[in-house]
Amino acid sequence: MGDTHITNAIRRLRFEHCEMTQQALAERIGVTRQTVNAIEQGKYSPSLEAAFRIAAVFGQPLDAVFQYQPEADRGKP
Amino acid sequence: MSFREKSDWLSFSSLCLLAIYFFEIGRGLVNGSHPRGPYYFFALFWVLIGALVVIQVVTHTMLARRSPQDAKTPVDERERLIHQRATPPAYFVLLVGAFMTIGTMHMGFSVWEFAHCILFVIWIAELLRYGMRLFYYHRAG
Repeated sequence: MGDTHITNAIRRLRFEHCEMTQQALAERIGVTRQTVNAIEQGKYSPSLEAAFRIAAVFGQPLDAVFQYQPEADRGKP
Repeated sequence: MSFREKSDWLSFSSLCLLAIYFFEIGRGLVNGSHPRGPYYFFALFWVLIGALVVIQVVTHTMLARRSPQDAKTPVDERERLIHQRATPPAYFVLLVGAFMTIGTMHMGFSVWEFAHCILFVIWIAELLRYGMRLFYYHRAG
């Protein structure tokens, strides 16, 4: 836990899906709203299964939702 | 704050009630005997355990009624991870405390004192377990 190297586009994707709430997303992937919030803020890396579920909800491939940022690339624009 | 985090706060706070008991035990040990007599500990212990159970049941019922959806949500992967991470430090304390309690057998402790050493160690380990859970909830919440 703590800040991870994985960034995500969940906030943008929720916005693009009619301002889907964190609660609605949480219910669809079977986690709590607090977990969705933690994932969105990069404080928690979801399991592979949860990541696939999130991607499926938005109809996107996994790498369009989650991106891995190695330590050296962090902070670069 | 999720239902389970609130529940952990309630458990942690209500467990703190037992500090009164251990404080009184400590006072009795320091002074040789407690001014209110030996039955005072027996009564205090059961009163505090009763209060702990009542507080836990009442507050958890109120919490579940206020947010039934949250209460019904099963433990998810993040919460499971938090619970898993919080257990080893508490288990370590429990283990060390158990061995130290065994050591008191060679120090001429009575059965009563031996039992309270064990109770104290269990109490500290439980406090630590809930404390660690709350720490991890706060970090990844």
